[in-house]
Amino acid sequence: MEHDLKDLENAKSFWYADWAFPIIVGLMSAGVFAGTSMYYNYGVGAFNEVAIVAMLKAGMTGGSYGAAAAFGASFLFARILEGSLVGILDLGGSILTGVGIGIPAILLSMDITAPVKNFPLALLTGLIIGVIIGGIIYTVRHFTIGQSKATFGADVMMGAGNDTGRFLGPLIILSAVTASIPIGLGATAGAAAFYAWKKPIAGGAIIGAMVLGFFFPVKL
Amino acid sequence: MHIAVILIESIIIGGLVGFAAGVGAARMFNAPTVQALGAFRTLGEMNAAQGDPASHFSFGLGFFFNAWASTVGAGAFTQDVTHRVIPNWAAAGLLMKNKNLAETMHNPKKMGIASAAIGIVVVSFLNVTSSSIPESLQVTAVKVLVPAATILINTVMPIIFWLAAIDAGRRSGLFGTVFGGLAALIMGNAVPGVVLGILIGKGVEEIGWTRITKIMLAAVILLFVLSGFFRGFDIQMLKEFGVNAPQWLKGLHTAIGG
Repeated sequence: MEHDLKDLENAKSFWYADWAFPIIVGLMSAGVFAGTSMYYNYGVGAFNEVAIVAMLKAGMTGGSYGAAAAFGASFLFARILEGSLVGILDLGGSILTGVGIGIPAILLSMDITAPVKNFPLALLTGLIIGVIIGGIIYTVRHFTIGQSKATFGADVMMGAGNDTGRFLGPLIILSAVTASIPIGLGATAGAAAFYAWKKPIAGGAIIGAMVLGFFFPVKL
Repeated sequence: MHIAVILIESIIIGGLVGFAAGVGAARMFNAPTVQALGAFRTLGEMNAAQGDPASHFSFGLGFFFNAWASTVGAGAFTQDVTHRVIPNWAAAGLLMKNKNLAETMHNPKKMGIASAAIGIVVVSFLNVTSSSIPESLQVTAVKVLVPAATILINTVMPIIFWLAAIDAGRRSGLFGTVFGGLAALIMGNAVPGVVLGILIGKGVEEIGWTRITKIMLAAVILLFVLSGFFRGFDIQMLKEFGVNAPQWLKGLHTAIGG
């Protein structure tokens, strides 16, 4: 009885229904795309890892948007496929990287700056993109649901994704030592302190590098 | 003035992202019957801290400091804001009042509202505090982080994903290797190709060559063909093999503007 009631509620209410999914993805995408717009205008607010935002930064500072565009768009594609099959759309790969980095990079590489520069337009662009993505998943799901119980290697990808994060700490220190000696020492000390404090060492390396970089500035 | 604009925009963004993250995370506990938006690591971690508001809060706090450092340094929130900080703090807030998980953490409506409030506070705080930092800090961040990120994305990530694909079985290793190499050539980064290889390899291993896996393979091949075409890979490849591109192909490129 309780189950029947819950099923009825699930089918009808916005909070559990499949038809609500495109709306949820739309709202998320609107916020994330607008966050990238803020990053473009003010240098803060991108919803992603430093490493991935740096690819967009490379394009913004005169380089090529190619890496960000290809990386983001392909990730988006892979995650849409996976999301509709496993029932969980990976927020990081699809929205944060695909919509937040890949799509802005594609637009900017084609010199279409308005949707990224203008805040209300960014909200609208993100919303539309998100609703489309959610709609695609809704459709794919309705054609495939119940037909397969496979995980499509989601666990393998998640494991690899988490392993990647571990490499960032040492890489930041290696990169800091090439910036300048004080910054290199700062990053090393910061990472060691964070390690002793049982925190991810990437955070400590960044803070250490920043503090020394503030007192002993370097030129870009 | 500058700060006021950032604050207003942050409130809007934080509310939207927070709400969607909360609803999406709560729906994960009802997947796969309900299509959710989130991440497997979020699901696992929230289950690990289940029921204890203090665990949820301190777990979020650790990543909050990391996100803050990254925002001050490079303007990047890290994915942890949506994956870890917002859902765990929302869960902590709800669980303080009611220990019943089904009525709190697993309820999309309550999680959505609580996460919207937390999203507004977190995003505004991160943006306002870090937009007022001096220039020398930003320069340091770029000097340190950009090279590290480049190596991470172009070398480290492809290798980790590639090895994971190889270790996951013969099929995903084979598809991962083929698509990884092609993706590196065509898209400039091997990761998307390896990910697609794992997807197809494991799919075939688990359910065999069904209609779904065949459609997926066709879609992936189409993706490669299209991105190769639009990046001019076909012309470049023929040139490097010492073959002249046929006129119709060149004509097709000019017609579509590629």
